[in-house]
Amino acid sequence: MSSTENNGSLTKATLGSSIVAGIVLVLFILPAEYNIDPTGVGKALGLTVFNEQGEVTQGAQQSGDSANQSVVLTVPAGKGIEYKLSMNKFEKVTYEWQTDGGDLYVDLHGEPAGDTTGYFESYTIGTLPEMKGSFTVPFDGSHGWYWKNKTDKSINIQLSFSGEYIVEGLK
Amino acid sequence: MALVSIEAFAHGVDDSTRNFLQSNTGVQILPFMYIGAKHMVTGYDHLLFLVGVLFFLRRSKDVLLYVSMFTVGHSLTLMSGVLGGIQVNAYLIDAIIGLSVVYKGFDNLGGFKKVFGVQPNPKAAVLIFGLFHGFGLATKIQEFHLPSDGLVANLIAFNVGVELGQFMALMFILLGINYWRRHSSFNKFARVTNIALMSAGFMLVGMQLTGYFIN
Repeated sequence: MSSTENNGSLTKATLGSSIVAGIVLVLFILPAEYNIDPTGVGKALGLTVFNEQGEVTQGAQQSGDSANQSVVLTVPAGKGIEYKLSMNKFEKVTYEWQTDGGDLYVDLHGEPAGDTTGYFESYTIGTLPEMKGSFTVPFDGSHGWYWKNKTDKSINIQLSFSGEYIVEGLK
Repeated sequence: MALVSIEAFAHGVDDSTRNFLQSNTGVQILPFMYIGAKHMVTGYDHLLFLVGVLFFLRRSKDVLLYVSMFTVGHSLTLMSGVLGGIQVNAYLIDAIIGLSVVYKGFDNLGGFKKVFGVQPNPKAAVLIFGLFHGFGLATKIQEFHLPSDGLVANLIAFNVGVELGQFMALMFILLGINYWRRHSSFNKFARVTNIALMSAGFMLVGMQLTGYFIN
């Protein structure tokens, strides 16, 4: 193989290429692929939306009060996803969801705004193919669903909801 | 309602393909060929490796020989991996594929001769890395639990598709490299490209190893 490299420039090339790779990894690739974002650059650029937990096919309406919204979510085999709404104390949401086949473990719960202890309050827990209802939240914060797919095939959820909230989306 | 779907490509298989793979029955030659070809054309890790392999090959005889070594390597492990049910961790395999890109970039820069004083046989290297690339493909395919009805024929079709896709991608890669070879900037271009290859390879390794450790 032909080359014009000497030892010094070869070392420089190898080191340089690995340093560039490391920087690109930390700034862009890891945030986009795995939601690992130590610098915050990934989030600032909006790259963390692809986090591995699931994929969204989302309706055109993004936010708003009382609007009826609907999203299709995919829960990969053996994994869990969260879909959250930001709500103020005593606000209410009416919802309905169903899978395209198969039961999902679900935990409808809320996390208080600003809490860092990991505390959450569950409103409903079950393993079901569909569910409908409403909830009025007892505190300001992030409220919504955790679904876990315990089967070996991915399951789609059609979720619709209306009420007072700001969509936080997939977590 | 306007629907926007986010599809993940790269080394994986996108959602509509996944649905097809899981629900198909019997022998379906053309769809499997198409998936194989698409996989190769959109599989940037394979393509980066091929760019490295082709870089300093001038004669079409050499191109044919090296590409055949790669093909033999990945066909062997693709077929035996799926039929033998050999499961290898996908992240580790993909990290090794990333390493193959680093290796080839380093090799093209003359690294092995300069640093270690020996030039490892490039044909053997292509064959060996071809085996790993095939294991990567096999591991991906096995995640779909393909129906056993028509499996062998479908796999052969998939493999033929991989070769066709590789052939199409190769034409573009060769056109680009040959175009530059006629310019005086080629040596500089070669150096920059191979350093960039190494960097991209390091990125792949880092990405896959991170995936391995967090999953």
